[in-house]
Amino acid sequence: MAFILKGFFQAICLLARGNAENYSAILATLRVSSYSIGSSLVMGIPLGFCLGYFEFKGKKSIRTIVDTLMALPTVFIGLLVYAFLTNRGPLGDFSLLFTLPGIAIGQTILALPIVIGLSATAVESMEKKLRITIISMGANRRQLFLTSLWESRHALLAGAIAAYGRVMTEVGISMMVGGNIKWHTRTITTAIALETNKGQFGMGVALGLVLLTIAFCVNFSVSFLRRRY
Amino acid sequence: MDIPIYEVKSLKHAYAGKPILDIQHLTVQAASIVGLIGPNGSGKSTLLRLLGFIERPSSGQILFSGRPLAPFSNEARFQVTLLPQEPFLMKRSVFKNVSYGLKLRKNKDDLTGRVKQALSLVGLESDEFVQRPWYALSGGEAQRVALAARLALKPKVLLLDEPTASVDAASAQLIKEASLRARKELGTTLIVASHDWQWLYEVCDDILHLFRGKVFGSGRETIVFGPWQELEAGKWGRKLSDGQELLVPLPPDKDGAAVIDVFSIGDNALKPEPEDVSLRGIVSRLTLEKNSGRILATIMAANIPFIVGLSQQQFHDHPLFPGKTASIHYSLDSVKWI
Repeated sequence: MAFILKGFFQAICLLARGNAENYSAILATLRVSSYSIGSSLVMGIPLGFCLGYFEFKGKKSIRTIVDTLMALPTVFIGLLVYAFLTNRGPLGDFSLLFTLPGIAIGQTILALPIVIGLSATAVESMEKKLRITIISMGANRRQLFLTSLWESRHALLAGAIAAYGRVMTEVGISMMVGGNIKWHTRTITTAIALETNKGQFGMGVALGLVLLTIAFCVNFSVSFLRRRY
Repeated sequence: MDIPIYEVKSLKHAYAGKPILDIQHLTVQAASIVGLIGPNGSGKSTLLRLLGFIERPSSGQILFSGRPLAPFSNEARFQVTLLPQEPFLMKRSVFKNVSYGLKLRKNKDDLTGRVKQALSLVGLESDEFVQRPWYALSGGEAQRVALAARLALKPKVLLLDEPTASVDAASAQLIKEASLRARKELGTTLIVASHDWQWLYEVCDDILHLFRGKVFGSGRETIVFGPWQELEAGKWGRKLSDGQELLVPLPPDKDGAAVIDVFSIGDNALKPEPEDVSLRGIVSRLTLEKNSGRILATIMAANIPFIVGLSQQQFHDHPLFPGKTASIHYSLDSVKWI
């Protein structure tokens, strides 16, 4: 128990002093998670809307696949992305292995099914009366799409938060695709894993607290936005 | 002759293969008020959605001012609007709900003034309601805001689906008044589905009776459901709860629905032929029919309401009042099956 308390004490000291290595990992985490969540939202929300809104042949099968992909293990994604980005892989020429964009690609694959699945659920749970109301007020197809999205904003935000949480806290992709390179591709989660293995418990806890703070800030902002809009 | 605002031709509509509507021909004149009467599940809401160009019929045509329109066409979007049965507002303030349709039309001049005017039409004080969020309204207020949002558009056609079904009496009165004002001031065509028969008889130019997806009659007929039984050899009918026998000709099936058109009322009115059927009941309601000036009497025989139209003279000769016992007569030959 004493070493845990000591770890927390060290963590507070480290955060108070400011540590360049920590800040590098925090910055890398924020950059890579922003890339991945941004791209997964841009692709996932329209796809999820179409999946939830339209009736078409094979819809149930696609839904089952998306739901399955929501539980993809991060190390498996890491392995696949590694295989594609390595020099011998089909995307080897782009030199994305051990880079932040490389990690972002993996994390996008991780977040995309979550965004698609939860957006589809949000749209499916939209009341039928909403569609009738929007059309009867004179909306065209584009306005119907945009208004329906806006009306399901709270559920879509919840989906985005769930995806962001998964991206922020994953280790497998960052470790395998990023390589945990100090000052370069080390993220908070890979740093925690490394520091804990090295016995630097205080550093691990400090980074964990930072992760927790980021999560709190994101949730607080979303909660504020929900109240405001 | 003026082109009707709606002309429906050979319309059929089905959901998942189940037929919902089958209307051979139907016209609605511009600036008229048309009532739709029928039991739940008869296809009233579906017909309104099709007339509102929200859905495309499975087959057949709906002409609007002589032209076939499709959902999302500009004419359909900007001239017809539908108020659904249950109050439904978007997750935004009252102002944004009412101004939504105007913004879609890029009609943004004096939005505040027009929202205020629309709210006042439905009896809502603008200053009190305009900034309220959607969740801070009662059911009646929400329905009135929803109607205000439609009235603000000054539509050519306003389709109302049970507009007063889920609101209190005061809200219902305001909704009725606002709808009629739209017709009077803007020449809006109103098509109203409602169970409030009395109101429909009072205000409608035409009333259509819908049953199992088919339009028939004027809405004054009485539909009586089975199960039918052979009361005596060759004599079919139903025993009513008060012991009377409601007779019908041989039904096509035991659960068929019989359409009964009562031709006279009162013991001293037209003397029925021996083969005619008479039932005794209690007058429950008297309504003045808008166009004909006839008085519609509703007679409850056991629990079945029969509606009979009387001329002013007939009514004068044989006065009725709610609570009075009266006889109704119908001919077995006139009973139709649907």
